[in-house]
Amino acid sequence: MSGTGSALLAVALVVVATVGIGVGGLRLARSTSDFLVASRTVSPLWNASAIGGEYLSAASFLGVAGLVLAYGADALWYPVGFVAGYFLLLLFVAAPLRRSGAYTVPDFAEVRLGSDRLRRLCALAVLAIGLLYLVPQLQGAGLALRATTGAKVWVGAVLVAVVVTGNVAGGGMRSATFVQACQYWLKLTALAVPVVFLLLAWQADARPDLAGPAGPVFRAQTTVQVDADVRFVVAEPVQVVVDGQPRRLEAGAHRLERGARAVFPEGAAVPHVVGLAPATGTSWAQPLSGAGGVEHPLYATYALVVATFLGTMGLPHVLVRFYTNPDGRAARRTTLVVLALLGAFYLLPALYGALGRLYTPELLLTGRTDAVVLALPVAAVGGPLGQALQALLVAGAFAAFLSTSSGLLVTCAGVLAQDLLPAGRRGTVRGFQLATVLGGAAALALALPAAALPLTQVVGLAFAVAASTFCPLLVLGIWWRGLTAQGAAAGLLVGGGLSALAVTTTLTGAVDGGWAGALLAQPAAWTAPTAFAVMVTGSLLTRSTVPADVGRTMLRLHAPETLGLPPEPDRSAPGSTARRSQPVARRTGA
Amino acid sequence: MSTAEHERGHETYTAAETRYVSVQDSPEFQELRRRYRGWVLPVTAGALIWYFAYVALAAYAPDFMGQKLAGNINVGLVLGLLQFVSTFVVTALYIRHADKVLDPVSARLRQQFEDGDR
Repeated sequence: MSGTGSALLAVALVVVATVGIGVGGLRLARSTSDFLVASRTVSPLWNASAIGGEYLSAASFLGVAGLVLAYGADALWYPVGFVAGYFLLLLFVAAPLRRSGAYTVPDFAEVRLGSDRLRRLCALAVLAIGLLYLVPQLQGAGLALRATTGAKVWVGAVLVAVVVTGNVAGGGMRSATFVQACQYWLKLTALAVPVVFLLLAWQADARPDLAGPAGPVFRAQTTVQVDADVRFVVAEPVQVVVDGQPRRLEAGAHRLERGARAVFPEGAAVPHVVGLAPATGTSWAQPLSGAGGVEHPLYATYALVVATFLGTMGLPHVLVRFYTNPDGRAARRTTLVVLALLGAFYLLPALYGALGRLYTPELLLTGRTDAVVLALPVAAVGGPLGQALQALLVAGAFAAFLSTSSGLLVTCAGVLAQDLLPAGRRGTVRGFQLATVLGGAAALALALPAAALPLTQVVGLAFAVAASTFCPLLVLGIWWRGLTAQGAAAGLLVGGGLSALAVTTTLTGAVDGGWAGALLAQPAAWTAPTAFAVMVTGSLLTRSTVPADVGRTMLRLHAPETLGLPPEPDRSAPGSTARRSQPVARRTGA
Repeated sequence: MSTAEHERGHETYTAAETRYVSVQDSPEFQELRRRYRGWVLPVTAGALIWYFAYVALAAYAPDFMGQKLAGNINVGLVLGLLQFVSTFVVTALYIRHADKVLDPVSARLRQQFEDGDR
């Protein structure tokens, strides 16, 4: 079977399995879900696998390896932050939020501050973060299909958008714990098995140096086919063959048209796409060396740490997973297993990124570094085995796109249906279906024209927005009595507005380089503290509007749940409690 | 929280709500908060210092971080991997603390709550 055929077969299998289990097995899945939520015998491993299945997205499966290939050791801060964010979530937010009975951040805003307007503002922020997170998932799908089958880039994006929208609207996600737990193990297997063969191939090649003084070179004569116009910089003159014509590329910037095939000789230094600076192995392996041409790497790293550490707790949907545990004790254990599963997973992309410098350096020329995971087996192992491994990786990648996109779309459609649709449509099944289609269409409309930034960088921006909006709301709401609805709203608007501005300028490439570029590319280090400050100041200025029942709410958040305190009385308009989100169908990932 | 008394002045209590107040005023609840903070705040501070110190080391002691230990593995890489390990270890420690120190106080609080209430 050809590489294209096996890749298509792998994609088809994952799609059919996901939809099949979701829709066909709804009855089975429903009873599984009841079992999971109700029973105390659910193992934390099972629940943690589902969290991992949902959390590990295209950014983790494909993107981290691509960033490691391009930027070296500094990219490892993404996975470290993705993991450590869970730790802060566990210590400061998870247990009180669980006790509050709120399943989503809008719910929490209403429980804690009793403001319907704030609730809707939170719903808007959930949508913004969710869509920002969905875009790279869809783009990743387009990229993966193109890299393995040569299909146009919109094909994969449309495929995932349609499958996920149909599945979610049809109710197939209602009890996805089982599917998502399996998808974690599929993703882990899909990365772990090929890496064994890749390392064997590396061993067989006499373990070439990964971190030596040389920059990336073509190990053998290499044909580079570009699927979009690309501009790149040649450091040393090199004799190449472009579309059958010999041509000498002098040092400086050059351009290859879409569809061109360039043959580079063995041993030639790899030209880099414009915007990506070549790095020696030594600087690539060294943190903060600015490898790849990152400006102000120290600031960028600190800001990334802030975004991922604080952003995880602000991802609007991650929290609900703590409800599928029978009690706080099990929730703590689940978190520990999640950390182990995520840590085990994240070792692998780093290896792919490192080996990519040896075996697929042409990605540095085309700028498609996100494809490194998919390209490596064919380049390093080759033959039918290489193609089989590639098909396995494509399956894992699509598991990542589908699971994370489904979770995100469920969350977005949930808030859309509950808080933002016209009143007549709220809370109905039709309303949820309409919201799902709207959400899926919006994500696709954003994904198709958006600039193809590295997947993980876009996800990092979603973390930055979350860290600048929901993180201060949750932390102050849980730990400070003085928070008011007005203060919270002001903080959300300022933090969300500033980080959204930074995201927009980065995505559109409006500001290039220098301090301004660095501050906008990694905004969390200044937008998150600003949001905190505005929230505190705004609350102090409107001190008289601190909710009268703050004492009771705070006690509810902080008293041990074993006390069985009476449920909070409904203190807002009739119907308000009914609008509170249901635990069903509320989940998502990184 | 110093505003607790102030806020309480504005509230009127139903029978159920006085139960909350009795819990809040109990020495066990205060003990629970003290023990939680006494552990979580220093440990979180320590963990954050360790993360940020790694970045600072990379910035100001690149020679140390670039030292090769074996083959392609340098000090920075090993310390980077230790970030995962340390996150896991700190979480495991927290879970132990919660099981051994926090949960017993919760249980006492619950006992007292049930005894005193009826």
